[in-house]
Amino acid sequence: MAATFFGEVVKAPCRAGTEDEEEEEEGRRETPEDREVRQQLARKREVRLLRRQTKTSLEVSLLEKYPCSKFIIAIGNNAVAFLSSFVMNSGVWEEVGCAKLWNEWCRTADTTHLSSTEAFCGFYHLKSNPSVFGSCPRKNMQITILTCRHVTDYKTLESTGSLPSPFLKALKTQNFKDPACCPLLEQPNIVHDLPAAVLSYCQVWKIPAILYLCYTDVMKLDLITVEAFKPILSTRSLKGLVKNIPQSTEILKKLMTTNEIQSNIYT
Amino acid sequence: MASRYDRAITVFSPDGHLFQVEYAQEAVKKGSTAVGIRGTNIVVLGVEKKSVAKLQDERTVRKICALDDHVCMAFAGLTADARVVINRARVECQSHKLTVEDPVTVEYITRFIATLKQKYTQSNGRRPFGISALIVGFDDDGIPRLYQTDPSGTYHAWKANAIGRSAKTVREFLEKNYTEDAIASDNEAIKLAIKALLEVVQSGGKNIELAIIRRNQPLKMFSAKEVELYVTEIEKEKEEAEKKKSKKSV
Repeated sequence: MAATFFGEVVKAPCRAGTEDEEEEEEGRRETPEDREVRQQLARKREVRLLRRQTKTSLEVSLLEKYPCSKFIIAIGNNAVAFLSSFVMNSGVWEEVGCAKLWNEWCRTADTTHLSSTEAFCGFYHLKSNPSVFGSCPRKNMQITILTCRHVTDYKTLESTGSLPSPFLKALKTQNFKDPACCPLLEQPNIVHDLPAAVLSYCQVWKIPAILYLCYTDVMKLDLITVEAFKPILSTRSLKGLVKNIPQSTEILKKLMTTNEIQSNIYT
Repeated sequence: MASRYDRAITVFSPDGHLFQVEYAQEAVKKGSTAVGIRGTNIVVLGVEKKSVAKLQDERTVRKICALDDHVCMAFAGLTADARVVINRARVECQSHKLTVEDPVTVEYITRFIATLKQKYTQSNGRRPFGISALIVGFDDDGIPRLYQTDPSGTYHAWKANAIGRSAKTVREFLEKNYTEDAIASDNEAIKLAIKALLEVVQSGGKNIELAIIRRNQPLKMFSAKEVELYVTEIEKEKEEAEKKKSKKSV
């Protein structure tokens, strides 16, 4: 590594191949202890799906007990706030289980007793219509993914200052035949991380799925960003799931107030 | 290779961008909303108050600051940068008064602040100021003024404008609602500022701070109670308007 005059760190190119070779040989000599430590770490980092309260494994019973027709996944705090105040507020949703995982960045060292607030992902199903939920690929299933991204990631000829942020863009798999409630995501923009993984999986397994991506300039919990998801409520996938919109807006405002304290850097 | 360092310091990119200045404008969007309105006999500044931590003294978190008796400004963006700019502007106001024996005009002090900001976009090893400012006041000729500056060092006069988070939403509201009727009286101008902020402020009137300057009068900061009175009045008017609408449709 070398630092340039401008303070940028660059990888110094090295044509002396021999330096790296020595280090590799040492690494290959792995003791049984190293192997043991690595296996333990791998076990700790396993993703576990747990049933609510009983904490028994959820995976097998999921496949049998909850066949589903609609699966909605929200990624990021604004998408989750939209889902919990607009969709989950109408009708009774029961928590079915959660996914827990641990890696070296987690703050707790204890992997067995993570509380439900530390769960990576919660699974809920609609009590009155249990066909809405599931996590396994089945026929007649439709998946909706909601997520947010910062508007500066949106590549366009216009300057980001003139974009009407927040705005919604959609991306769907080949098997999704219904129209999207907003314009489709144009090239050269790409989707990253978990939403991209879910969408790719659905495309490969021919599951109809649609991703709604909200480009916003406020990444933390924000009323205007969450309300930008509202057009989705009129689509076929979410119609009928949402009843009381004014009440949902009130609940959303309450969610905002609990998250208010900000840092002092920006005023 | 060329695009690697033009993002780190303020030099031009091959397509003519100053990325650091554009990134500074993103920093402004992280500050809470401020709105400025120029009425006929009044200028109004309204800001969204940040919620303070329990143990923090509220008086030290101020978005609206007086630069002189007849000029004040609201900012959005980096707090520390704002403090530096405000101090320099205040010193300049007094220096001008002592040298020329006249108080600064609003345009003069705005130009001073904008020139200061522009210098930092052209200096070696410095980054631009991460604040936008709304500067309001009355000149000696009695005409109300509202100016806005941004991190690039440009400044423009406005009839009404907003800066900070969700500024676009507030500006669109103002474009629709800033009419001659809306600023006909001082009270109407104040209500317009509060209505504009209520579009984006997430917890209503208790998080709004307001300041006004009337012709030949010093800056007046509204107390929380006074703001609440206006908010209640606005809500009443809204209800009445909605009742009228539903009557008409029936």
